[in-house]
Amino acid sequence: MGASALAAGAGIGLRAPHYGEVARTRPPLAFLEVHSENFFGDGGPALAVLEGLRADYALSFHGVGLSLGSADPLDERHLLRLAALVRRFEPALVSEHLSWSSFGGIHANDLLPLPRTREAVDHAAGRIARVQDRLKRRILVENVSCYLELGEPALAEWEFVDAVVRRAGCALLLDVNNIHVNAANLGFDARAWLASVDPALVAEYHLAGHERGERGLVDTHAAPVAPEVWALFREAVARIGPRPALIERDACIPPLQELLAEAAQAEAILEASRERAEAPA
Amino acid sequence: MSALARLQREFMAGLAGEEAGAIAIHRGNVRSARHDALAATYPVVRRLVGDAFFRALALRYGEAHPSRSGDLHLYGEALAAFVADDPFARALPYLADVARLEWACHEALHAADAPPLDALALARVPPGRQHAIRFLLHPSVRLLACGHPVAALREANQPERDGTPDRTEGADRVCVWRDASGVRVRRMEPHAWEFVRALAAGASLGEAIEGFADGGPLLARLGAEGIIAGFTPGEAPA
Repeated sequence: MGASALAAGAGIGLRAPHYGEVARTRPPLAFLEVHSENFFGDGGPALAVLEGLRADYALSFHGVGLSLGSADPLDERHLLRLAALVRRFEPALVSEHLSWSSFGGIHANDLLPLPRTREAVDHAAGRIARVQDRLKRRILVENVSCYLELGEPALAEWEFVDAVVRRAGCALLLDVNNIHVNAANLGFDARAWLASVDPALVAEYHLAGHERGERGLVDTHAAPVAPEVWALFREAVARIGPRPALIERDACIPPLQELLAEAAQAEAILEASRERAEAPA
Repeated sequence: MSALARLQREFMAGLAGEEAGAIAIHRGNVRSARHDALAATYPVVRRLVGDAFFRALALRYGEAHPSRSGDLHLYGEALAAFVADDPFARALPYLADVARLEWACHEALHAADAPPLDALALARVPPGRQHAIRFLLHPSVRLLACGHPVAALREANQPERDGTPDRTEGADRVCVWRDASGVRVRRMEPHAWEFVRALAAGASLGEAIEGFADGGPLLARLGAEGIIAGFTPGEAPA
């Protein structure tokens, strides 16, 4: 169950402006990923769209609101809604972010970086394990973008992510753009990140666009995937292997054709890697 | 308190503050997430006050009513009450009612689905038992009584309209619900609105229809439009 059920092909993040066109035209894609919270309602048109697509597409539910790393108690309502959604749609993948969003009951509704300490490893891993128990399946957690260090880091980012994923027994959703953004902002080598990843832990890639802000790179999901991120993705696939790969756009959403063109570009990179793997030595 | 909790408490305080630096990127994210959630739920309020005022309103609202869930669809419920007390928004006395209407539309959009009324089963109820029928409204139905012509204001501020309402005076009783075409907003005559409200409160047909000369056409319309979505036959006579 879970990651193994999904082919290592390219998919797109399905957002409301494209519901109608995707339902009508059924573009060939390995999977569709949606934000879980957009389907937390009791009924209505969004859920109807997803029901209409599930026969033709593998689905991936990507959560943005569970606040996995928060010191607050896990939000039971949120978890119940997610569990009900997962039971109903039986998605190929369920993922969340290795971050926190809330404290004292107040939500930032943003993906905030965790301090890279042993304490945070234990805390996040314990919560991920509890979510997996509740959902009765393995989930993926994504490495997030960072613009600052929270507290005094005891671990490099790749060590932190690796420790959490191993301790929790979950899988890693490797966001290639976030590695690039963090390398630029925090001053490390993106290749060192990639070189340290255990390929056995990686179950999906994310590809998104960033923009240059006053203080460095900002992970906006509002632009096409940058050439440097494509290059890093090629290296990741060469080292780690092909996995489901997602084109993610959350703002300034372009015509569907532009996302499909980026998905085709990702598909070509995955395809080349599969061919290399199959070629006789 | 753990070191993790302490760091998170400090960071949340920093987000609410004004400190510059990298934290300002996150502060911007928080504000735009809240603004965008409100803008999605309250397009007519936004159009009535303009983008700049709405952005400032979203900021004030966010400080008074910060988000309490990772699901932003739950955010913004108190905007009508906030607008009613907001010294800057008070210049538009109808704004709070428009906000109430838009929250009702938002709830209706995400309410549970229900199959349509089984008209054949309804027709089989013997005439002597009809008064005992209890109708079930579609789960999306929301009823509002507003002191301003909110239905006309909403209609006039749809994207294809120029914003001039057909009516500027009057109190609207409104029924909001969802059908296959989406969210519907219907201004109702007071007696029809009271009838639907009685059904919503669980009255039997006999109780709700008291005082009507002929409730048949109204019932047929409510069934055909999907406002009534089911019924229970009621108790058999003793």
